[in-house]
Amino acid sequence: MTPLKGPCWDELAELALNHVRHSGAEYGDIRIQHIDTQIISGEDQRIANIQNIQDLGFGVRVLYDGAWGFAASSIFSIEEIPRVAELAVQIAKGSASINQTRIQLTAEPIYQGTVKTPWKLNPFDVPLEDKTALLLSVMGLLHQHPGIVRSQASMWACRDRKLFVSMDGAHLSFDLMAVQGRFEATALLNGRFASRGFNTPHLRTGYELLARANFLQEVSRVAAQAREKANAPSVHPGAYDLVLDPEHLALTIHESCGHPSELDRALGYEANYAGTSFLTPENLGHFRYGSSQVNLIADNTEPETLAATGFDDDGVPCQRWEIVREGLFVGYCTNREVATTIGDIRSRGSNRAESWASIPMVRIANIGLAPGEATLDQLLSEVKRGIYIEGHGSYSIDQRRYNFQFGGDAFWLIENGKRTHMLRDVIYHGITPEFWHRCDGVADANHRGRFGFITCGKGQPGQAGWMTHPASHARFRTIQVIQGQAMP
Amino acid sequence: MSAKILNNWPVLTSREEFEFLTDLVLRHSTGEHACVTLHDHHSGTVRFANNQVIQHVDTRKMRFLVTIGFGKKHGTASTTNLTAGAVRETVQRAESLARVTPEDPEFLPPPGRQHYESWPTFRPETLEANVLGRLQLARDAIEQCQAEQVQGAGILTSTMTTVGVAANSGLFAYEPRTEARFSLTAQINDASGWTAAVHRSIDKLDVVNRSLLAIGNCKRGKGSREISAGRYTVVLQPPAVVGLLNGMLGALDVKSYETQTSPFSGKLHQPIIDTRFSLHNRPDHPDMLSCGFTREGLPVNRVTWIENGLLRQLAYDRYTAYQKGIALIPMLESPCLEGEVRDQCTLEQLIEGTERGILVTNFWYIRAVNRMDLTLTGMTRDGTFLIENGKVTAPLRNFRFHDSPIRAFQTIKGYTEPQEATSAESGKMLVPALRIPDFYFSSVSTF
Repeated sequence: MTPLKGPCWDELAELALNHVRHSGAEYGDIRIQHIDTQIISGEDQRIANIQNIQDLGFGVRVLYDGAWGFAASSIFSIEEIPRVAELAVQIAKGSASINQTRIQLTAEPIYQGTVKTPWKLNPFDVPLEDKTALLLSVMGLLHQHPGIVRSQASMWACRDRKLFVSMDGAHLSFDLMAVQGRFEATALLNGRFASRGFNTPHLRTGYELLARANFLQEVSRVAAQAREKANAPSVHPGAYDLVLDPEHLALTIHESCGHPSELDRALGYEANYAGTSFLTPENLGHFRYGSSQVNLIADNTEPETLAATGFDDDGVPCQRWEIVREGLFVGYCTNREVATTIGDIRSRGSNRAESWASIPMVRIANIGLAPGEATLDQLLSEVKRGIYIEGHGSYSIDQRRYNFQFGGDAFWLIENGKRTHMLRDVIYHGITPEFWHRCDGVADANHRGRFGFITCGKGQPGQAGWMTHPASHARFRTIQVIQGQAMP
Repeated sequence: MSAKILNNWPVLTSREEFEFLTDLVLRHSTGEHACVTLHDHHSGTVRFANNQVIQHVDTRKMRFLVTIGFGKKHGTASTTNLTAGAVRETVQRAESLARVTPEDPEFLPPPGRQHYESWPTFRPETLEANVLGRLQLARDAIEQCQAEQVQGAGILTSTMTTVGVAANSGLFAYEPRTEARFSLTAQINDASGWTAAVHRSIDKLDVVNRSLLAIGNCKRGKGSREISAGRYTVVLQPPAVVGLLNGMLGALDVKSYETQTSPFSGKLHQPIIDTRFSLHNRPDHPDMLSCGFTREGLPVNRVTWIENGLLRQLAYDRYTAYQKGIALIPMLESPCLEGEVRDQCTLEQLIEGTERGILVTNFWYIRAVNRMDLTLTGMTRDGTFLIENGKVTAPLRNFRFHDSPIRAFQTIKGYTEPQEATSAESGKMLVPALRIPDFYFSSVSTF
């Protein structure tokens, strides 16, 4: 094969799309991507893994006679590009031969431009020695605390450079950075063990996020809480009021609101894997999802959040819209393919692929819980018997996103308006809309956190999606809590 | 295995090409230790839903990964780029990481030359299944769904991979692997039926018969009713057993064992499950997704992990194995759980022997809630039925379970012979269907 020399993404795109254009396809696009990822992970006071991962390739998507075809390759050569383009066309023709309905994309203006997410310190430029020294210091300090038997600490950085070109004339260049850091301590006391973690959010920003996080200052608190958790009494099952922190709520929102609001799921596209949704299209604009305190906003325009990439992988600009307004279900996450099925004339711009090797699909937007007016202390002060929960633990939800069960990373008993001692083995469960109807207070914007995920699994072959779920603390009344251990 | 790879474009990296690549890496490396790993992958998937093809994708991805070590310092770089200069650039990236990283007291040089068994990893018929072949099998499933007036959603995948691991220690491993996968969820309103198969041979997927099975279960699931949560005798079909067993295998690692953070700590050579049961690694089995070696180039062999209920092995990392003088690290790539033959019965007999219980087709979204006793939670999915007086009498709404596989596998009241099974959340295993008393369902869903 003849390798292509030098940076020639535009020529490569033109070569592929010319081929698609001449096939008679009604639409085609190409994404060429170069993703650099650095992972530094330590465990038990050693740096166990340092990896620098470079992922390059291109994917061609074709709509022919109303059916999709997609082919991708990591080989950049003048033979491979037309092969992949032709394969995408042939695949689309094959799909069209089976299908009885034809896909029609929503109309969209043609955009050309460049997107660069904001960062001050390029994490790939920060000396590796500085990063490993910090992680070793964190783990070393954790192990100085009596009872701490295991530790983990890691940093992650990703830079994604991408070119999107469509047959219609769209031409978009991306330079997207993201970082995250975390550590965890495991305590073993009196034959019982417990872990407690500290996480920065994943955000599209630079190393300044990790520098600001001040890991070393958090070590004593995390170690002490791991020890207290190991010694804490197990929760007594029953009904409790819950006050949930922003990091914990990110997961609750993700699972119980994010996934159900993906329109492709509601239409049955994920029935064989991730599941469907109880928020079916006839519910749009009618279904009472939660209490009037509940406003869930999709916002892919907020800087630094994971889904704020300027444009999605349909070439549609990122947008802000409502999913739940004062408890009423009013909006879906959509792409150009499925938006028409609910009568929308425009996509919400939520079509994203994991990489060049994957076909884009509807992804959860940055769905967040809009701030209320209370302070955290006010939320707590009105709880007679409750539990305050921070962070993520075990989580599980049925394939229509109704019946859920969540744990957490740390739990405190609330008695007469005050956080008292830690608990362990706390698991709460419920039915999604019933749970959100029990929300009677949300803290103000001063309490807002922006936690999110880069491992949201969906699709076959599986793809990981990225999104942020901003939230302030929120209170939920009379939620069923059980013990996270085998029943005697 | 030394199967001839058919000349089906795109041709994946051959053994000779991997040898060339290895030689190139070793020549460019100045490291004391150098290891190169290849994963060259060509895969296609037809995905359908509502009896329409919604995606059909075909991806060729070649990734190679270089680990360089200087003493106890090491770094790893990988790329999918094989344009001119990329190999040298990747070696340089790995070396630059290795030079500045702190010493890792647990780093070991790559293993030396190994002996590998020749397990069945490659089937030419899977390689030959191109775009049209995949599409035809998907069409077969869709047509069954259309004929039976159910909504079908599923996938048909065929994959060919060449995998290699080599190092300047003399290590060299290379093998081609194929994999074919089919799964289908048939739906009518609230009812669903499911099937899944994965095999090295695409000819073993049995698409039409499996489709009919899923469709039949879907039809039997219409009009499900709710019964209260609580403790029930359950008859778990093999995919449900896979879900529970998978949740248990992850707790067998030696570091957790030794730091007392595993539920099995202190139980090596002690009974941990029903003493009629044994767990083996079966890479020799023709229906398993066997492989000859691991990502580190270590050989995969037949090993007994649990023998008559007694825990016989732990999962070792290379360093801990080295410390303990364990020469051959046991692998568990192809788990087979089987009970003594004399007590095996059929699924029908398990049901007939159940006065009142619940037949579970599959579990979904299984997660650990307590690492101390290995309590898991998850939902039943795609076929949950009431058993009364030895007969399946009614479809039920889905339950959430909340129980420990350790407890469940200690109280087995009946079982079949092992069968091939897989689920959406775990790999392929050979496991029996099981009857287990007092299995705890903590709540009921709304469908």
